[in-house]
Order: sequence, then C-alpha cells, then structure tokens
Amino acid sequence: MKLNKTYFSGLAIALMLGVSSCDKDFEKVNTNPNNPEKVSSALLLPNVIRNTTNEIAGNSWGYGNIVMQYTAKIQFTNEDRYNWGPQSSPYSSFYNALRDINNIIEISGTAKQQNYVGVAKVMRAHLFAYMSDAYGEIPYTESLQAKGELNYPKFDTQEVIYAGVLKELEDANALLGTTTEKVDGDILFNGNVTLWKKFANSLRLRILMRLSDRKDPSQAMQAILSNPTQSPIFSAATEQAVLQYLQDVPNQHPLFTTRSGSYDEVRLSIRLEDELKGLNDPRLFAYAQPTTSSAAGVLGAVTAYEGVPNGLGDEEALKYSPSGDATKGGSNFISRVGLLWACSACTTQANPLGYQGILMSYAEVQFILAEARERGFITVGTAEDYYKKGIQASVDYYRARYTVINQPTIAAKLVLDDAYFAQTKVAYTGTTQEKLAKIGTQKWIALFFSGMEAWHDWKRTGYPSIKPGPAAFIPTVPVRFMYPGSVQSLNGENYKAAIGRQGPDALTTRVWWDVK
Amino acid sequence: MIAQKSIWRGLMTACLLLTLNFTFAQQTQVTGKVSDSKKEPLPGATVLVKGTSRGTVTDIDGSYAIQAASGDVLVFSFVGFESKEAQVGTLSQLDITLSEGLALNEVVVTALGVERQTKALGYSVQAVDGGQFTEARETNVINSLSGRVAGVQITNSSTGIGGSTRVTIRGESSLNINANQPLFVVDGVPISNNIVGSSGRSNQEADYGNAAGEINPDDVASMTVLKGPAAAALYGSRAANGAILITTKSAKGKKGMGVTINSNITFDETLRMPQWQDKYGQGNNGTFEFRNGAGAGVSDGVDESWGPELDKGFMTTQFDSPRSESGFRGGDLNAPASSTITKTPWVSRPSNIDDFFQTGVTRSNNISIEGSNEKSNIRLSWTNLDQTGIIPNTDLKRNTLAMNGGINVTDKLTVNSTFNYQNTDSGNRPNISYGTESLMYLWIWYGRQVDTRNLRNYWMPGLEGVQQFNYNYNYHDNPYFNVYENTNGQSKGRVFGNVSATYKFTPKLSLMVRSGLDTYNELRDRRRAFSTQRFRRGSYREDNIFFSEQNSDFLLSYSETAKSTWSYSLAVGGNAMRQNNRYLETVAPELLIPNIYNFTNSAVNLQISQANSEKRINSIYGFGQIGYKNVLFLDVTGRNDWSSTLPVNNNSYFYPSATLSAVVSDMVTLPSVISFFKLRGAYAEVGNDTDPYSLANVYNPATAWGSIQAKSESTRLANANLLPERTASMEAGFDARFLNGRLGLDFTYFNNETKNQIIPIELDIATGYASRIINAGRIQNKGIEVMLNGTPVKSASGLTWNFFANFTRTRGKVLELTDELKTYSMTGRNGANIQARVGERMGNIYGAGFARVADPASPYFGQIIHTTTGTPTVDPTLKLQGNYNPDWMLGLQNNVSYKGISLGFLFDYRHGGIIVSRTKTIGSTSGQLEETLYGRENGYDITLPGNGIISEGVIKNADGSFTPNTIKITSRNWHNRYYERNNVEAAKYDATFLKLREVTIGYTIPKKLLTRVPVQDIKISLVGRNLALWTENPHVDPETMAMGGGTLIPGVEDMAIPSTRNIGFNLNIKF
Repeated sequence: MKLNKTYFSGLAIALMLGVSSCDKDFEKVNTNPNNPEKVSSALLLPNVIRNTTNEIAGNSWGYGNIVMQYTAKIQFTNEDRYNWGPQSSPYSSFYNALRDINNIIEISGTAKQQNYVGVAKVMRAHLFAYMSDAYGEIPYTESLQAKGELNYPKFDTQEVIYAGVLKELEDANALLGTTTEKVDGDILFNGNVTLWKKFANSLRLRILMRLSDRKDPSQAMQAILSNPTQSPIFSAATEQAVLQYLQDVPNQHPLFTTRSGSYDEVRLSIRLEDELKGLNDPRLFAYAQPTTSSAAGVLGAVTAYEGVPNGLGDEEALKYSPSGDATKGGSNFISRVGLLWACSACTTQANPLGYQGILMSYAEVQFILAEARERGFITVGTAEDYYKKGIQASVDYYRARYTVINQPTIAAKLVLDDAYFAQTKVAYTGTTQEKLAKIGTQKWIALFFSGMEAWHDWKRTGYPSIKPGPAAFIPTVPVRFMYPGSVQSLNGENYKAAIGRQGPDALTTRVWWDVK
Repeated sequence: MIAQKSIWRGLMTACLLLTLNFTFAQQTQVTGKVSDSKKEPLPGATVLVKGTSRGTVTDIDGSYAIQAASGDVLVFSFVGFESKEAQVGTLSQLDITLSEGLALNEVVVTALGVERQTKALGYSVQAVDGGQFTEARETNVINSLSGRVAGVQITNSSTGIGGSTRVTIRGESSLNINANQPLFVVDGVPISNNIVGSSGRSNQEADYGNAAGEINPDDVASMTVLKGPAAAALYGSRAANGAILITTKSAKGKKGMGVTINSNITFDETLRMPQWQDKYGQGNNGTFEFRNGAGAGVSDGVDESWGPELDKGFMTTQFDSPRSESGFRGGDLNAPASSTITKTPWVSRPSNIDDFFQTGVTRSNNISIEGSNEKSNIRLSWTNLDQTGIIPNTDLKRNTLAMNGGINVTDKLTVNSTFNYQNTDSGNRPNISYGTESLMYLWIWYGRQVDTRNLRNYWMPGLEGVQQFNYNYNYHDNPYFNVYENTNGQSKGRVFGNVSATYKFTPKLSLMVRSGLDTYNELRDRRRAFSTQRFRRGSYREDNIFFSEQNSDFLLSYSETAKSTWSYSLAVGGNAMRQNNRYLETVAPELLIPNIYNFTNSAVNLQISQANSEKRINSIYGFGQIGYKNVLFLDVTGRNDWSSTLPVNNNSYFYPSATLSAVVSDMVTLPSVISFFKLRGAYAEVGNDTDPYSLANVYNPATAWGSIQAKSESTRLANANLLPERTASMEAGFDARFLNGRLGLDFTYFNNETKNQIIPIELDIATGYASRIINAGRIQNKGIEVMLNGTPVKSASGLTWNFFANFTRTRGKVLELTDELKTYSMTGRNGANIQARVGERMGNIYGAGFARVADPASPYFGQIIHTTTGTPTVDPTLKLQGNYNPDWMLGLQNNVSYKGISLGFLFDYRHGGIIVSRTKTIGSTSGQLEETLYGRENGYDITLPGNGIISEGVIKNADGSFTPNTIKITSRNWHNRYYERNNVEAAKYDATFLKLREVTIGYTIPKKLLTRVPVQDIKISLVGRNLALWTENPHVDPETMAMGGGTLIPGVEDMAIPSTRNIGFNLNIKF
C-alpha cells in the first residue's frame, strides 16, 4: 500500500506537469488559420457596394416597381395586393453592410485615408436614408455598436436620422480628395473621388427635397448649387451612380439567373402602359416587350404592347384579357418586362450586362432641380430646362443600354423629337400645379427600376395617381414597410417605443416627412 | 487506389497468418439432464459452450445433447435460476441442478471502457445487445435504438438512404441545437458524429449522414447508453449529453475457431406518401393547353393543378402529345417551328408519382472468423452493404473490414487492438428541402395529369446533354433528369480503432495505455447538367472533407476486492485529444462543354472556400470506489480538462461526481415476492468547451467581383472572455425484481441543470452583428424513465414469452437566459421558429397564425379575421404553436419463442408534439393534395353548388367592426390564403404516432438436421422494419426533420422524402 501511495502521488505530479508543459504550442492552437483579424479598406469596399446594390435592385423588382405600378404580377399576386407582411429587406443586408462600412471608416480613419473614409460615409448616409424612407424610425445613433456592448439600440426619430445623414454627406464631400490615396475596390466609380463627391451632393439634393414639406430646403440647396467646385453634382448620365454588372457568374445582373417562370410572373402594368402610350413615349419599347401573341419579336408596333391591371386576384390576373375577349386572355397577351432585364432562361437575347443597378440617376437629379426651381427653392437655371434634360437623359440612357446589348432596332426607337416635347401633356406649360404634375409624371417614368425611389417620391408628391387593385388586402396604397419580424423579439422595448411615437407598425402608417 | 489495395492485401495476409495459429480441439458428445432443486426437470433451459455461440436447449425431459471438447466449460441457464458452469471432463454425462435465484453478476461497460457489475452502479445504464442490430437492420445503425432505450429519443431525418439521425438523451440541455447529441465511443475511444452541411453556392442540401451512423451493425457486440453526466462524467466535456458506448465483437473468452456468415436482404417501399387528388390536372381556373411549357399556351407556364377536370373527354395539346413532325414531342421546343402538336386525351394518372419510386433493395453480407486460445484471440469481419434507394439512381455502398484481437504477451502484459476500415461510396444522394433541386419539391408542384413515364427520355432530340425535356420549363426540372444527371456523389474512406496495452504489476495493480484514432477523408462530387433551372450552363463542385481525432490515454488502476467487508478500487488516468478538420470546397459555376465534370472545364473563375480547424483537450482524471460487504457501493470521480478553444485564463475546468448504490435486498429481509431491490443515487457535474476560434473576430472571404477580391467581417461577434459551460445533474432510482426475476421494474428520476452555456445569442442586425457568443442560460431537464420487463409465459413445453417496455417523460425548461434576454431563437425553417423563452419548455415552436378576434367581449372572440374580400388573414406576431418534443414516449418489445421458432415485435409510440409541414402548405396552394378538392367539387364556377368556399370567420370592416364572412371565394384563392407560407398554425400537425417498428420471425434449424453438415447453427428470419404507422397526418411520416447547413431542425417537415417500410430476410449460419 505504501508503495502504491507513493506511486500515485508521483504519477499525479508528473501528470500535472506533463499536461501543462509538454503541450507547448497549446495556446497557439486556437489562432484562426483561415481568416485574418485585420484587413485593408480596399478589401471591404467591393462587398458592401455589391450587396447593397443588389438589395436595391431586388427591392425594385419585388416591391418598388409593383407598388408604383410600372409592373404588375400575373401570378402569386401577393405583392400587388399589399399582402406584404414584415420586411427584412433592406434592413438585414444594409445593417450587415454598415458593419463593414464602419470598419472602413475606422481602419482608414486611423490610417488617414480620407478618400476611403469619405466613400464610406457617402454609403453610410445613403443606406440610412434609404432604410428610413422605407421604415421610418430606425436605430441610428446607437446602431452598430455591439462591440461596445450595445445590444439594444434605440430607434431614432427621422428628424435626427436625416439631420445626421445630411451632415455626414456634407462631411464626406469635404473629406473626399483631401488625401491622395487611390481608392481600390471601388466597383461603383472605379476610384474616381470626384464622382463620389458628386454622388454625395446629389444625394443631399434628394434628401433635402424629401424633407421639403417639413423643412424649407432653400438655403441648403442653394448653397450646394452656388458652388459647383466645392459641391459638384452629377452633370451627365455618364457620372450617375449605377453599378455595371459583369459578364460572368456570380456578378451578372440580378435577374439574369432567375427562372423564366419567376421573370414571367411580372409583367407590364396597364398603368405604365397607358401613361407611355398616352405620351407617345418611346420608353414603352424599352420597358416592355411585345406580347407573345403579337408575334412581333423584340420590337413591335405600339399595339403589340399590353399591360395588366395591378392588384387582381390570382386567377383573374392569370386569365386577364386586355381586349376583354376571354379567349384572348392569359400571359400570351400581356407584355413582359423589357429585354434589358431578361433572364438567360427566358430568351437567347438576354444579356448579363444590360441592366445596371441604379442607385441614383442623372435624370433624377434633373427632376429634383426642376421641382426645386419651380417651387422656388433654388434660383439657378430654369425649371423647364432641368425638366427637359431629365426626360432626355432618361431616354438617352436606355438608348445606350439597348445599344450595349446589341438591340439596335430598339435603341433606334429611343429618341425624342420636338413633337414629343410639344405635346400638351409633356410641354412645360400650365399652372405651377400642372407643371409639378408633369415633373412628377416624368420623374416617375424615369425612375423605373430605381430601387424604391419612385414610391417615396409618390408618397411626398402624390404623382402619379396610384389606385389599389380590386383584390387588394388594404384599401389604400402602402406608405411604409413593416419592421422585420425579428426586431420584435430582439429589440422589443425600443421597437415598442418607436411605434409608440410613430404609429402602428403597419403599411398604412405614414413616415415623418410624408405629411400630405 | 493502389495504396488502398495494398493496404487491404497486407491486412488480409496478416490476418490469415494470425488465424493459422489456431487449432481445432477434439469434439465429443456430452449429454445430461437439467433439473431444479426439487429434482423436477427443467425443459427449455439453455446449454452453451462458454465463449462460443454454440448451444442448445433442454427438451421436455430436461435432457440435452451437445458437442463439446474436453476442457470446454458448459454454461447452464434458465430464467429465474442462477446459472451454473461445469467443465467437460472425461465423462460424457453431466447432470446439473439449478437453484432458483437471480443472476446478479451482470456486467456492463461503463465510461472509459471499464467493465462494472450492474449492481454496483449508482446510475442508470442500459445495454442493447448486438443481435438487435443485425437481423432487422437499419443502414444508419443508430436508428435501431429507437424505442428500445428509456430516456433516449431517436429521430431520423427522412432524407434518403443512410440519412442522418438525431439522438437526444434525457432531453435537450443546450441552447445550441447542434450540441444536444451524445458522445459516441467505440471500444473506449470517442469517434466522430459530425454532420457536414452541403448547401450553398446555389446547391441545396443533400444529407450525407451523421458519422456515427456508419458503424457496421455486424460488428457491434452491444451498445450501452450512459444516460446522464453521472455515467459520462469521466468522458469529460463532450459527454454532457450522455454517451453511447459501442463495444465491437471480439473472440475474447471464446474457445477454438468459429465462422459466421450473415446475409440480409431487405426490400424498401414508401411507408407514407402524400395523398394526391386525381380529379383536376395542371392549369389555372380550369384551363390548360400546352405550347412551350412556359406560358405560351393556355396556363402552360403554371405549375399548379387547378386546371381542367380529368377523365371527362377533354382533349388538349400536352408535353407528351406527338407533333406533326415525327420524332418530336410536344415538349420538344427545338422541333421545327412549323410543326403542330396533336391534341391528346386529358386523363388522370393516379400513380404518376408513386410509380416513379422504386423498390429499394438493401443487401448486406457479412463473414466473420473468430478464433481464440489461452494466449490470443482474434476476430476478423468483412461486411458488404449494397443499397439502392426508393428514388431511382440513389445508392449507397459500404465495405467494412473489422479486426479485433488481443494477445497475452506475457502473464502480465496484454495487448489489444481493434481496427475498422470503411469505404463508403454513393453515386448519388438525393437533394432535400424546398427548391428545384429537391425531388419532393418537383412533386408538390407537379401537374397531376403528367404521365411521368413519358419524361423518362429526358433530352430533347438532338440536344442530348444540352437541353432537358420537361412538362414545364418555367420553374422545374424533369424528375428523371434531376436524379440521373444532377448527382451528389460521395466517396469516403474511414479508419477508426485503437491499440492498447495493459500491464499487470500485481493482480491488483495494472496500467493501461491506449491510443485511438478516427480519421476520414470524404470527397463529394456534385454534377449539374446544362439546362438545369439553377445552373443553366451546368456546374461542378467538389467538397473535400478531412477529419482526424486522436485520443491517447492511460489508466492506472488498483483494486482490492478479495476482502469480504471492504473492497475498494482506485484509478488515475489522463487523455490527450487532438482534433483536426479540413474542408475545401471548389466550384466550377459554369461549364465550358456539357457533360465534362472537371475543373479544367470551368467556363469562368473557380470559386473556392476553405476552412481548417484544430482543437485540443488535455485531461487528467481519477476515480475510486469503496464497497461494503458487496451491498453498498460509493463511487467518486474527478476530472480536469484543458481545452484549447477557451481563453487561456479560463481554459481549465474541474468536475466531480459521486454515486451511491445500495442492494437493499441483501441488507434487510424483504417479502419473498421481491427477489432483488437496489436503490441508487448520483450527482455529477460536467464542464464543456466550445468550437475553435470563438474568441476573436475575423474577416471572412466575400464574393469576388470579377478579379477584385473581397472580405467581410464575421457577423458573429466573438468573445474573448468565455467561461466553460457547466452541467450539474442528479438522478435517483431503483431496480426491483420480483417473482424470482420473472418481473423487473427499473425506475429513474433525473434532474439536470446546465448553466453558463456558450451560445451565439441572436442580435438585432442593427447592432452590426447577427449574433454574439456569450455564456448564458440555465436549462433544466427533469424526467422519469421506467423500464418494465417480464416473462409472463415460460411453459414446460418450451414456450417462452418475454416483454420489455420502457417509458420516458422528459421536460426541459428554460430557467434563465441573460438579464436582458428573454427569448433565444435556436433555429427555424419556413416560419417555424424554435425559441427558448424564459419560464417555458425547451423545444417550443413559435410562428405566425391566423389573425383572430382578440377582444374576449366580442361575440366573435377567437374567430379568424378576413379581409373585406373574404380571405383569411395572418397575424405576423409569433405565437406559441406547440413543441416538437413528444410529451412522453413508450417502447414495447415482445419476444415469443417456442423451440426453434422465435417471434419478436417492437412498437414505438410517441405522444404529443407537433410537426410543421411544408408539404401541407405548398401542396394545398398548388392544388395537389386530396383535400384541395374542397370548393371545386363541380369545377370552378363558384355559382354552382359544391364550388367556392365561404371561409369561416369574420370580416373586419373599415370601421374596425366585425361581421360574419359571407363572401364566397374560389377554392384556389381560399387555399392560397388559408395556407400562407408563413402561417405555422395552418401547417402544423399533431406529431403523435404509433409505429410497428420491427417484427422478426426466426427459425433455428434443429441440430439433428445438421448432423451431417459442418454447421453449428442456422437461423433464418423474416424481418421487417417500420411496417405500419398510425398518425393523424395523412401525407407525411411525422418522424422527420428538416436539415440546413449541417443542422438538423426538429419539428419541421421540409419536403421530406417518404419514409420507408422494409421487409426482408436474414440468414445466419455459424460454422
């Protein structure tokens, strides 16, 4: 027994020593061999631009185009009937991107790379504004601070958010170009710092106009326009904020790889059809394809383009007949969305490069300026000039895009003659109200596939008139997104505080700037 | 391949050489009589040659005759009597008297492979004999435990052959849904039970199985389930959820040589298929005409069955109608444009889906050789499994070579080794879950009129390899194309085993050193052909998975058992664990040339993901036992682990256990009806660590933009200050046997509490991160386990009836999360969120349900709220919909034997719980399921009787008031709105089920018929598994799960592949 005791205690000591000492690199084992703990901003930038732009493109297709009745669904008509439910897009992917945007600001702030910081700030401002436009109040001042143990960020009022966003854009404009480092990984503007400045200032115009029924934007707008060197804005379509997709997977345009059925569910809305036909607008040939039954191919006569009403029940939508003749109903008699956006499974003419992700177009800026001038917010230029440039820029843009995808016959149609501008419905004449209606209508036409910008603009201006369809779940057009369902369980108290201020978490609750 | 071959050859040679050392002993016939203490003969008593499987039973006079060699030991046993052994000497006559009593020297394998007497154990263990795994067998051997072990819940995933199985013991103690499974240990050394996910990059999941499920049933001598941490305390961190110890067969303790051949063939067919309607075909609102299957005809882009009525003489163009141009079918879109499609009759095809499935065949053949003498023993076994699934072109082939041997090198030194080599190959494992890659997805949207046979020729003529032929081109892939062209292959080589040496310094003091390894290399190749919906230009992907875990341990034991009053034993040991994982995924997202599945054929840049990880745990432990007069036993254990995954300051953790066992029946005099009564109690704590690299945030690869590379910070916030997890558990119970052992009752109550759990708590993404790893939560699991066994009949004629029943009731409760956190989302799918909420039961499923009138004062309180157009609405607020765990479970096994004939059957019953069914939701909206005939009894004109639906409930008017709904809507509209995809309330079923889990009918050929052949024993069995199912759900077997990214999601049916009923034969021959 004695022997054993000695034996055991000796062994135990040997063990204790052995376990802790012989495994020498024990503490290094847990160092991640796969991924770095530090990276440069250039590696973070591509992903945030890609993901957020894709999200915006997805919002256009899924909601923006439908609620603004550019398009209508002939199958699975939930979106068209406002059977929306809670929305996690863009909330999830934007905050996700904002984590890396903040990382860029931190990494490049420390490294004194103000161009990167400026770029990141423009993006940050843009994303917050985009989300707030959709949801209303969102976490802002306390957001993105989980590393600082802030697990339950409060929701800020939109007043606070937009003030912050405008300030950030101003700061970004000031920072950009103050250092000389090259911005790598910039898949949007290819490192062109000046274009980022222009984007920043153009966004400021958008937001100032958005808030114009709450706050007089005159001073701020005038300040931007009066100093084009210090605060330049987009001066041509070549400068606008659009993401050019690539030839190969997985960076082809977002609709290129969808199933043909999914692409075909979405068709030209009768609302847009009527408007374009009524204006003799050639963008009809760009935004839609001739019906199958017309057998016209890629380009047809005006009569070969037919839309479908929004908000029909599923069966009614599927069998809808533009002529009223029941034997001539169904998908063959309704136009698809334009060839520019077609999926590869839909047609051999589909092109992965055609459709660009539009964040903000030059045309939009021109319409903002037209409205600003008309309402007297600015004194530079004439409203008519801005208005016409907006229309022209939009048509030119689509001519260029159809040229890119080798559709010269369609491109050839995308020209505007004097007769177009001379039409009563187009000519910049009439009362201020009538002029603003024309600006609103043309801006709407130009904002096709521009995220949800047309929807937000409609909420503010009421242009164009949009009516819910017969099978709509609610009798009015939605004016906001519901918060993602997860927010209720993950940040419940702050969520409740937000809806306490803002109103019920419903599609019908107006956001702060939507005062009409 | 060459390396593999030479390994095999070398191994075979080595084995043969070893075998040659054994010699056959001279056999003689021994006869005699077995009787009880009153000299009454005992018919049906077993006589066995010790160490072999050779045996016989006594006849009506208690007489027996058996072949045995001089020196052999015969074991005589009979239920309710103490066994007796007698050595065969020179006499050929051996008469034996058995005394009534109990065989209480049962031995079970416990932690670290230590064999212990059952009566000395202070905790509940349950062993399942290997014979239960081989006759009526499961490809995933873990499924064989289903219904057999109290406290154990087995759920298989319905994901095709060899699919994954989820095991939980005594409920779920971890908030991490993946961390609730027990540790699997083979011959004392832990093995992997990993599930490596296979989705991503546009691929849907395919279930490649859980690693422990690959164990070969033919090599299993027994499985012992250590149910609580008390039992598993010595395995440390990873056994916090219990352990399943698998002991492989060996020749140890047997004499001479034996050869066994086991051959098994079973036929698998679908047990439960969705009930389809056969009244209406594809289309919309009663219309359909095929032109291009993509919308060019009338509703021919629609993939739902709300079309024209079948079998009513309607003629229309269809995908399989001939074209005017011969050789082309309607769906051949490359036919000359001038060709027209001839109309064909629109008729029902009631078996168009059933007929696609085939009878699966599973062949399993095993040959084992074993031999033993005083100095050494060896068992060699080779098993070939060859299985084809019920889905065409799915298969699984597995070869297992097992070796188990030991040599007494000297009187003091013994060396043992077990070695298993497995090769698993599959040409195709089916895709699962919801999406075009999944076959069940294709069916749920299928045209009910489609004659599936006409899709078998699945290429368009002249476009072979380039363009598939189908009935619908808008959304779907041709089902045959899906299974024959888009394959998920697998090739896996695995080695596991160990070598151990035991040195006996004295009879009381011994040292064991052991090193074990489990390692595998798996290649998964996934082919996607041109024209696949998700891969227009095809795709090729390979996943390379490497796993290796090495456990080296030693154990120094001292035991003093000879003394009559006090006995004690003491042991100290240590273990070093090294685990390596490597994962490499390579994808060619588009192919240059069709049908060439090689990365050099990629049309674009390859996409690559890689993840390697390493983990180490070092441990020391000790345990001791004190026994008093062989009636009272106290065990204590202590173990300290150092884990590499935890912060340096917190990486060491100690945990103790203590158990007490008292054999009351030997201490006091109990009524004679009680033959044995033992009380036991145990308390234990177990610590646990986490996954590697959970301490610091990193930047992960993000999708490259052409040649521009990208990174993104992990959405999970790491935590540099983690503490080890801790589970404390207690259990108490008794083991009672009555009527001389004819009836046994074993009862256990347990209460476990886990705290400081290391879990990623979900954050609102507005914080910048989706989750944060923290220590949180306190989960309690309480429950009871009851086992009842008995022998109601044991007649003199040899008729015996045994039964074994086990009952389990477990309740897991969330006691605490964090100060701020009241709800924790564990996982979810299709709107069903599995959430842990403070004060609530573990396994609760939250989801949206119908919007209902909430005001209790309203006359319409509780009714479903409808829109002003008469459609039901959903309230997106998450409400408790049910729990996926059964309220209680019951297993009932019966064995009846009469002479050479035996009958066994096992019922498995689970009461309560819900299953959220995607099949129900989608099949209702798509008009496929039988019940969608509701509201279209006479077509689609809702002015006709039987048509249209006035949904029950109230309409919410613009002013907020309610009025009863009187608006009639179409059947399709109603089904679509009632079964909204996120409406969990509409999708759920009661998961209660009763299954006839197993039936075996065996016949052992009488010895006298075998005297002329060199065969010891032949047994033929008719076997069946999962023969019948009783449940409320007419469409799918409720015993199913969803799977995503390697996580099994219980309570959710996500396009489950039909479960199977297996019937076959087993032939066992012993030489």
